[in-house]
Amino acid sequence: MRVNYERCGYCGACVGVCKDMALELIENRIVIYEERCRRCKGCIIVCPLKALEE
Amino acid sequence: MRRVLKDEYDVLVVGAGPGGSMASYYASKHGAKTLLVEKSQEIGEPVRCAEAVPKLEEFHITPSEEFVRSYIKGGYLIAPNGKRIEVRGGKTEGYVVERKIFDKYLAIRSAKVGTKIAVKSRVVDLYPCEDGFKVKVVHLGEEYTVKTKIVIAADGVESSVGEMAGLKCKKNPMEVCSCAEYEMTGVKLLDKHMMEFYFGDLSPKGYAWIFPKGDTANVGLGVIDRGKKAIEYLNEFLEHPILEGRLKDATPVEFKCGGVPVGGPIERTVDDNIMVVGDAAGQVSPLTGGGIYLAMSCGSIAGEVAAKAVKRGDYSMETLMEYERRWRERFYNTLITELKYKRILQRLGERELNIIAEVMEDNLEEIDVKEILFKVIKRAPSLLKYFKDVVA
Repeated sequence: MRVNYERCGYCGACVGVCKDMALELIENRIVIYEERCRRCKGCIIVCPLKALEE
Repeated sequence: MRRVLKDEYDVLVVGAGPGGSMASYYASKHGAKTLLVEKSQEIGEPVRCAEAVPKLEEFHITPSEEFVRSYIKGGYLIAPNGKRIEVRGGKTEGYVVERKIFDKYLAIRSAKVGTKIAVKSRVVDLYPCEDGFKVKVVHLGEEYTVKTKIVIAADGVESSVGEMAGLKCKKNPMEVCSCAEYEMTGVKLLDKHMMEFYFGDLSPKGYAWIFPKGDTANVGLGVIDRGKKAIEYLNEFLEHPILEGRLKDATPVEFKCGGVPVGGPIERTVDDNIMVVGDAAGQVSPLTGGGIYLAMSCGSIAGEVAAKAVKRGDYSMETLMEYERRWRERFYNTLITELKYKRILQRLGERELNIIAEVMEDNLEEIDVKEILFKVIKRAPSLLKYFKDVVA
């Protein structure tokens, strides 16, 4: 999973659906812990801005 | 601030939104030593919502000019064919506030009764210890371990803190409404005291809104859609013919986005030494997506229960269950009913929505769902299939 920081509105919606705790919002920056991600793509669905991509 | 993070507490509240500030207010007010931690460097920022709040008198908060931007008397529900239904009074009354100022106001109110606050302080982990939690907080790149008897997780849609403690707080992606909004100036409103709600294909499984906000208006929408994004729907809404050019001269002053958990409350909001409040607990109206009233109410209960537990010296799940019992008693049935209505609404196409709008009175004091459905079915019996869960 990759974040397009130019598009991201740092709202944290993606963090709220990440059951693997692979996402964290630190101030204005989404951080991805790749080793925890199980590619469920929930984050891609809820992002209002298409800021997440595989 | 570093001093604040080196102390021990009775109650540690995570997240300084309306839920966290109310919880910490009541915890402090009833004598518990309370710390409120906010990970952003500024309380109230970034705004993720449409900023409509209920009447505040119930919370003994004066609706001050400081944060109130518009007084709301009701709203227009607008069908895909443009028919408007006016709903006034009762629960539809309230305010549109400047959340950046409102949230800070609530945090200050909490500080005035003794709450200590740490900003730019992020909870990264927590683990149980003898009679509470050790909470790891990162502030300016340094890690602090703060001991507390009770944690109140009010960390919003992100819902990470309860999850760290083993409560199932993370939401299903198809039950999170994806929202985007421009705050604009130069909007021609239908009425400066009325909210506008638009339903139909312009915002699938959600709705679009225009909320008056003083010199500006919040123009936004929420959708649940696997394909197209909220921002794309929003850009189309700005030019939608249903608005009859009322945004032609409007220009944005802010962009906001967010996710709203509309799938109803999480299964359990309490465990030993911890309570979950607000968006994190799914305490959001599934029908409107409004969460401030519930967060403030449930936060208040959590704060009171926390202080009581501290006085008793018992922070077990059994004691803290008073919180869950009380908030469920007040809100659970409404939330479940709304959930049911929402699921029906989400299945209706524009044709069905138009029929419903057609049979509804133009002016309403209250929305009596059963009465409306009765009329709808009389007018269009084929729609019965959508409503059988409710009518039965």
